[in-house]
Amino acid sequence: MTDLVKSFNVTARDFAKAGEGSLQIQSLLKSIGFDPDLIRRISICAYEAEMNAVMHGGDGEIVLTVSSRDIVLEVSDDGPGIKDVELALREGYSTATPEHREMGFGAGMGLPNINKNADSLAIDSSDGRGTHLKISFKVENTQ
Amino acid sequence: MTAQDTELVRYVQIDESLCNGCVLCMKACPTKAIRVKEGNVARIEGVCIDCWECVRVCPKGAIKAITSDTFDLTEKDNIIVAPSTVLYSQFGQDILPNDVLLGLKRMGFGYIHDQSYTSEIFNLAIELYINENREKPNAPLPFISPVCPVVVSLIAYRFPSLLGHIPPLVTPREIVAREGKERLSAKHGTKAKDIKVLHITPCPSKMICIKDPVLLEHSYLDAAMGINSIYEELKNSIKDVEDDIVLHHSSGIGLSWGMSGGEISGMELKCLAISGLEETIHYLEKIEMGLLGDIDYVEFRTCTEGCLGGPYAVADKYQAKHNLQKLIHMFGMEKRVKYSYVKKLYDRGWFIIDKSPGYGKRKLPQLTSSEISKGIDRQNSIEEILRLLPRKECGACGCPDCATFAEDVVDGRTSLQSCMFLTLYPDFSKRF
Repeated sequence: MTDLVKSFNVTARDFAKAGEGSLQIQSLLKSIGFDPDLIRRISICAYEAEMNAVMHGGDGEIVLTVSSRDIVLEVSDDGPGIKDVELALREGYSTATPEHREMGFGAGMGLPNINKNADSLAIDSSDGRGTHLKISFKVENTQ
Repeated sequence: MTAQDTELVRYVQIDESLCNGCVLCMKACPTKAIRVKEGNVARIEGVCIDCWECVRVCPKGAIKAITSDTFDLTEKDNIIVAPSTVLYSQFGQDILPNDVLLGLKRMGFGYIHDQSYTSEIFNLAIELYINENREKPNAPLPFISPVCPVVVSLIAYRFPSLLGHIPPLVTPREIVAREGKERLSAKHGTKAKDIKVLHITPCPSKMICIKDPVLLEHSYLDAAMGINSIYEELKNSIKDVEDDIVLHHSSGIGLSWGMSGGEISGMELKCLAISGLEETIHYLEKIEMGLLGDIDYVEFRTCTEGCLGGPYAVADKYQAKHNLQKLIHMFGMEKRVKYSYVKKLYDRGWFIIDKSPGYGKRKLPQLTSSEISKGIDRQNSIEEILRLLPRKECGACGCPDCATFAEDVVDGRTSLQSCMFLTLYPDFSKRF
């Protein structure tokens, strides 16, 4: 079995298309037949990460890697990066603009929500260098 | 045809002699269950959730569903009639709900039950359930209405992770049937099995979910009949009815159930009402991605404008909505049901579905890791074929879209040559 690798583009500030990558990831995982609750956790993370990239990041991509052991989402963008990663992981902390909030985003739950739903989260980011998230899920409980 | 296929295509059927082989039904199907292949006719090959979209879009009238029209109406004495509240909106604004119910009585039915009142009771039960459960850790918010059977099937087949969002409460139509039977048999000593409950409805899916319910182990209703098949006779019976018997008891809250937003109209919760199949799928996808978690309850109806838009309604849905709004205005929006009464019933477990094997029985089976490996291999092959395809989504191959075509090729249900772009322009994919 070869791992399934597929990438999805994210366009900065394109709110009309935002979320489409996550939807495609969701339907692809359903088509393979993963446990619905696992798919749900992955969809939540994919969506949050995609929205973060759309709102704060620059253009970027989501790379999905699927094997029978784990599912990994790598989300990278060439945006301004996260100044203080520890702070960004705190619930309620937000750097969203008033414009974002008007659209119903910016509750400061993005990264914390990913952290909560993923089995592991690695954040590689610093000021001015873009952001790279590696979000992983285990597939071992599907027997 | 295998036994399993027979089971899947039981209710909605395509008359191959009328089908002209166009792709409209195939394109409309939300579960991508239809193909137009051999003989240039449409066939249902996958899972049908009885949403009726194919019937609506078919220009030839070739698609029909099995209904309960054959239900024996000769012995009406032992029949409880429980009409959908949509029935009240079908006769113009001068005919009141009580007139409609008396019209049914005049037709000879032994017992008439006003479902709008039960609907108000159900409203309070939903509020009680949500208030009791929403603060729990990992509460599945938003909760999703169990009322529309197409939504429930859609969730069971396409969004199984959302099954837990549906409160395990018995819907008003089922409560009416269950209680009606119980009361009658206690009062007259008639055996419950001799009492039949007939639902009159704008909704073909009700007929199907009576035979094969998703959430209940068995339905308490015995049959359903389309409003259209009883309309003329009822209309004639409504003339000159004696109005000294009061059968209708609800306020505008219960009456409004037929239209989109009606179920949530009396609730003091954060609610949304969404109607139409496309919108329903769109919002279920959102909920599956963890959105709308700040909403308590979502009323979904796959028919546009709610049940008023049901295929077996007679009146135009917007006209019916106008009639209903007049009635709601007349009867007001004050609750007629006592909170303490409903609370007592709720605490007794009156509304709760027994956790029977029927609850969520259509949930997909979990796969083993070797099955998942196979699934990944399959998906890799699908992606490979997708890269060759023109992505015109034309449907000429007989599959609803390119992605489904790729799946069918991998599963050996069709061949790559069926794609007319690849056949006519073999180097098509190289152009991209």
